[in-house]
Amino acid sequence: MSALALLTALLASVGETDNSRLAVIRTPADFTLTTQDGKPFRLSSLRGKVVLVSFVFTTCNGTCPATTHRMVLAQQALAKAGLLDKVHLVSITLDPARDKPAALREYMRLYDIDAKHWTFLTGSPQQIDKVLSEWGMWVRPTANGQLDHPSRVFLLDGRGRLREIYDLQFFRPRWVCEDVQLLLNDDASAKHR
Amino acid sequence: MTSIRCWTVMTLTAILFTGLLGLALAPAETCLSPFVKRLEKPEKYLYVFCVDADAKDNDFLAVIDVDAQSPKYGQILYQLDLGSAGNETHHFGFTDDRTHIWGCSLFSNRLFVINVADDPAKPKLVKAFDSSKETGLTGPHSPYALPGRMLISFLGGKDGGLPAGLAEFTNDGKLIRTWEMPHEAPYGYDVAINPDLNRMVTSSFTPPQNYRKPMAQMDLKQFGDKLLIWDFRGRKLLQTLTTAASPLECRWSLKKDAKHGYVNCALADSIWVWEGDAQNHYTARKLCDTGKLPVDLSQSPDGRFLFVSCFASDEVQQWDVSDLKNPKLFSTVKPGVEPNMLHLTGDGQRMYVTNSLLSTMDRSDDFWVRLIRVGPDGMKMDPKFNVDLTKFKTGPARGHDMLLY
Repeated sequence: MSALALLTALLASVGETDNSRLAVIRTPADFTLTTQDGKPFRLSSLRGKVVLVSFVFTTCNGTCPATTHRMVLAQQALAKAGLLDKVHLVSITLDPARDKPAALREYMRLYDIDAKHWTFLTGSPQQIDKVLSEWGMWVRPTANGQLDHPSRVFLLDGRGRLREIYDLQFFRPRWVCEDVQLLLNDDASAKHR
Repeated sequence: MTSIRCWTVMTLTAILFTGLLGLALAPAETCLSPFVKRLEKPEKYLYVFCVDADAKDNDFLAVIDVDAQSPKYGQILYQLDLGSAGNETHHFGFTDDRTHIWGCSLFSNRLFVINVADDPAKPKLVKAFDSSKETGLTGPHSPYALPGRMLISFLGGKDGGLPAGLAEFTNDGKLIRTWEMPHEAPYGYDVAINPDLNRMVTSSFTPPQNYRKPMAQMDLKQFGDKLLIWDFRGRKLLQTLTTAASPLECRWSLKKDAKHGYVNCALADSIWVWEGDAQNHYTARKLCDTGKLPVDLSQSPDGRFLFVSCFASDEVQQWDVSDLKNPKLFSTVKPGVEPNMLHLTGDGQRMYVTNSLLSTMDRSDDFWVRLIRVGPDGMKMDPKFNVDLTKFKTGPARGHDMLLY
């Protein structure tokens, strides 16, 4: 068997989504929100890339700093693995009333986040509510002025399908790299079929 | 300037994150999925999954006031009608965000999705559906939270036979995938995941075709004796371990960096331990002999103690398992006839007990919820907490699994 045929067979063997260890959980509906630069942004514009999606708000003193910190670590691991150009990170605000584009830009500056590979999004409260509902997320005000919410990170494949949901406590950069590589293999295999 | 600011933010974040992780690593009630959000305050409500005892009226969820400061402490506040009878409602599980309870029923195959977050005193039924239609599996038993999803273990396959299996659903009840147990170890029962080790354990009971019979008619050869070790992230079977008959509740040790866990073998009156080596390869052995028919197993938050309810000898035992080579019986209480499900609070100080196993196995019609206080000297019954489950308008109810809010 030639090397090319072997590679094709290998990709096909791991490319069957039904048998993949990362099952298709669902396909979230497309949405358009507003970036940290005030520009419209469609989720579907990222088709072809693996996407990591988090939900945070910039004034959080609970788990959001940890979520963003872990996303930074994951991004560094992806860069080290040579995968970063095939991945995009997205963080959607849970607090659209306070998180206007300027607040998002300042938050990105504090974390030294490069907008080339990571986009922060806001929108009207109605737009954000719709996205939260679609993604199984929720937010509730607490007595101390903060917001209660789940701390999950979502992984989409190149076709916009949800393939993994990470709990913050177990969001490990090494596992993210393994999962991203698997999805890239799945996508490559799908193109060959 | 940017790099200094960035360094400062990252350092502060790392410190904060370390603190958060410290909080997060403290388990929710010790037998829940590690992915379930911790209850950060003393419990106010105890939810009990109830089977109408004669299966003529609808099954329900009872809400009991367990707020020690409440004038209604120890009283039943509310009954959520589940809309159908004869389900054999059995085990409970929170979703990861603790907003919904999933309830499994062993006779009807129905799964109940119940919202407890909007009004914890008056939960609402969101969805009830026959899980066998989509999955091809029967006897849904253990609902176990994954991030944003629920993993359900089933006791049977098509028509109530074998092989059993597992199924994953989204938190709002859409099927994601199913898979069957291997033919050489086809039974199912409980599931327990250790994310740090990337290992999942499943255990063995008997399929619906057998457990639906009266106990005297059950075929004791149709009970499994296997523990399965899985690659959790890969959902791939790695090892099949043999224990004694009917290994039921699986508990990973909560001791720091532990690579072992425990299971009660109901038909062999014993607790077994599974132990992993440096290569994550596992073996199983008997840890200790217990009272008769050990049916539920709980663990102290520090991993020092196991609590086991012995259905046939009417006792709950507390075992000190600090030394796995020399476990010691630390204390024993007699809560009443046939104690079954145990639910220990996150602080390890209060353990609620119910006393119905299955309508085909119960030998008493006196159903209750009682409270064991756990202190430095061991367990003691709380005489002030005794919830009678026999005086409902619809008659007695068999209380089984419990959750706290």
